[in-house]
Amino acid sequence: MDAFYASVEQHDNPELKGKPIAVGGSIDRGVVAAASYEARTYGVKSAMPSSIAARRCPQLIFVKPRFERYKEISQQIREVFFEYTDLVEPLSLDEAYLDVTQTKIGLPSATIIAKEIKDKIKSRTGLTASAGISYCKFLAKTASDVKKPDGLFVILPEEAEGYLKKMPIHQFHGIGKATAEKMKVAGIFTGNDLRKKSLEDLTRRYGKAGAYYYNICRGIDDREVKQNRERKSVSAERTFDRNIIRMPEITQELERIIQITFERYKKFGLPGKTVTVKIKYGDFQQITRSDTLNQPIEEMHQLQNAILSLVDQKIIREEGIRLLGVGISNFQRKDRSLEPTQLTLNF
Amino acid sequence: MKFIVSSSYLLKQLSAINGVITTNPVVPILENFLFEISDGTLTITASDLQTSMITELEVEAKEDGSIAMPAKILLETLRNLPEQPVTFSIDGDTYSIEINSDNGRYKLSGENATDFPKVPTVSDGYSVNMSSGVLAQAINNTIYATSNDELRPAMTGVYIKLDETNTTFVATDSHRLIRYRRVDIAADMAHSMIVPRKALTLLKATLPSENTNVNLEFNASNAFFNFNNVKMICRLIDERFPDYDNVIPSDNENTMNINRASLLSSLKRIAIYANKTTHQVRLKITGSELMISAEDLDFSNEANERLSCEHDGEDIEIGFNAKFLIEMLGNLDVEEITLKLNAPNRAGIILPSDQDDNEDILLLVMPVMLNNHV
Repeated sequence: MDAFYASVEQHDNPELKGKPIAVGGSIDRGVVAAASYEARTYGVKSAMPSSIAARRCPQLIFVKPRFERYKEISQQIREVFFEYTDLVEPLSLDEAYLDVTQTKIGLPSATIIAKEIKDKIKSRTGLTASAGISYCKFLAKTASDVKKPDGLFVILPEEAEGYLKKMPIHQFHGIGKATAEKMKVAGIFTGNDLRKKSLEDLTRRYGKAGAYYYNICRGIDDREVKQNRERKSVSAERTFDRNIIRMPEITQELERIIQITFERYKKFGLPGKTVTVKIKYGDFQQITRSDTLNQPIEEMHQLQNAILSLVDQKIIREEGIRLLGVGISNFQRKDRSLEPTQLTLNF
Repeated sequence: MKFIVSSSYLLKQLSAINGVITTNPVVPILENFLFEISDGTLTITASDLQTSMITELEVEAKEDGSIAMPAKILLETLRNLPEQPVTFSIDGDTYSIEINSDNGRYKLSGENATDFPKVPTVSDGYSVNMSSGVLAQAINNTIYATSNDELRPAMTGVYIKLDETNTTFVATDSHRLIRYRRVDIAADMAHSMIVPRKALTLLKATLPSENTNVNLEFNASNAFFNFNNVKMICRLIDERFPDYDNVIPSDNENTMNINRASLLSSLKRIAIYANKTTHQVRLKITGSELMISAEDLDFSNEANERLSCEHDGEDIEIGFNAKFLIEMLGNLDVEEITLKLNAPNRAGIILPSDQDDNEDILLLVMPVMLNNHV
């Protein structure tokens, strides 16, 4: 999204349209979270102390951020993404990677998809977005910055090399201000300069990141688009070679699955209170039974007791059981509303 | 133009008004002091457009004239000169300034005095008099509760409400509110204004320690404070002050009397163990005992202390920001205070148990909701 917070404010409050605005904290202590394009012409940038911003642009209008509203719009934008693919990796409220190799609607061209997504965002939220299209995450990100605002830019595989050779070092996504300065001292000013350095040289200078730099300046980036949807449950299940029907056998299989589930649960790390057992019969009918405990599960025997008490003679049917599964859900995530809050006078 | 003045006397006058000058003013000329000489009287002005301070002193001068002098370099020079008469010679065409002392000669370039922004003068104003001690007390009691939130300008200053029988000073940052009333300042007619924090901070620093009369003149847009040979002019905050009377509860029946100093020192210790973002401390009043506690779950820090108090009402447990309480109690100059409460989610009120006849102070503080009450 282009100047996301600032654009939302300008959209919601037409009086701010066409004016230099900065979303962020108070003038004497805060920083600018986002600046409208009008403000950027004065040199106002995000993360700049508000006092400096006000000096650069005396008519700058400061607007208090409304994160609830940004989240709401962010959600609308994500809904657009999910109409095309489930492979969405959000980077922030207003930015995401989409893998459109295989899409839900079978559109053949990433450029057409990008155009459609931009149009849909525009019609649903009234805001403009910029899209970058390429064959890997790094180049897509690079492309998205080329034609802001309301832009769309494609870097084709055959163009990547030439493009990256010319690109100034500080524009490489993943090379921060400090690293860029170090590189300049080392005589690296462009992608081409970076290409001339050996992998050994780069890893010696920049550690692990050196390998990443070595690859990106050649247009190599194998990172996958990861969907980081919030995990709702941890589970394990097992399908048997032959349907089982006797209780001792069921208990024995469950105990194995419980152990695997518990190991995954520990690795996952959040405390969960609800346990579920899933049973699929020989005729593919499926039932689940669950119980919510008073306390989150901490020990394996607690999970065992909880699961086994859900399983009694009544679950046994003559078709036999082809699959058993065990799950833990209802995770206790840290809830901000439970933190102490300073109350405010109601003026 | 040429004048002779004692280096330390000039330094003293400049120091009194220098606080107005900001390091990065809107217009560069505001990095200067404006020097104007008329009939042997030197008038010096410093300004940041919102606030201006003016001082006057007698100098030896044969002619009238004016010049804008760079404040920083001038002050540093004077600070490092031993006390002696110094001569200033100013070239009216080039604005160059030459300072002559026993030690040597210093040249600096000034600016055209006519470029210095005009300071507003009082017109169709009202006027009220007060003693400098009373004004200083009113500022000290309220200024720390003003807000830093530039998005709500009304709260970045102290509200002064003049009446025929008393004067009320109010400051709030929406988490706490202080109402300070004096019956020994009264005006001919009711009037109100919001004075910016910066002006009051400067005033506080400049008000003389010995009691003198301060004359306050004001109109709709400016206030003028006059005392000794210093004058401060400030632009008033042109906003509506929040309806503070409405948020002061009158039904806080749960009262506790306690020694201010022992509560304050206890809070200072407990606060060390409080969460660093909320600064939350719990006050639990049961019978005639006050338990103060705090915890920081992130570091497994916790602390609690017990104090005895006089309590009238149901047992109650309420959370507050320790920093607020410490600041408020620290600014009170009384033996004993009364804390008036209603509910854990309602404002608490602190009152001095005994008040001076001339003053009436009320401190309101909003609680921090305890998580076990959510």
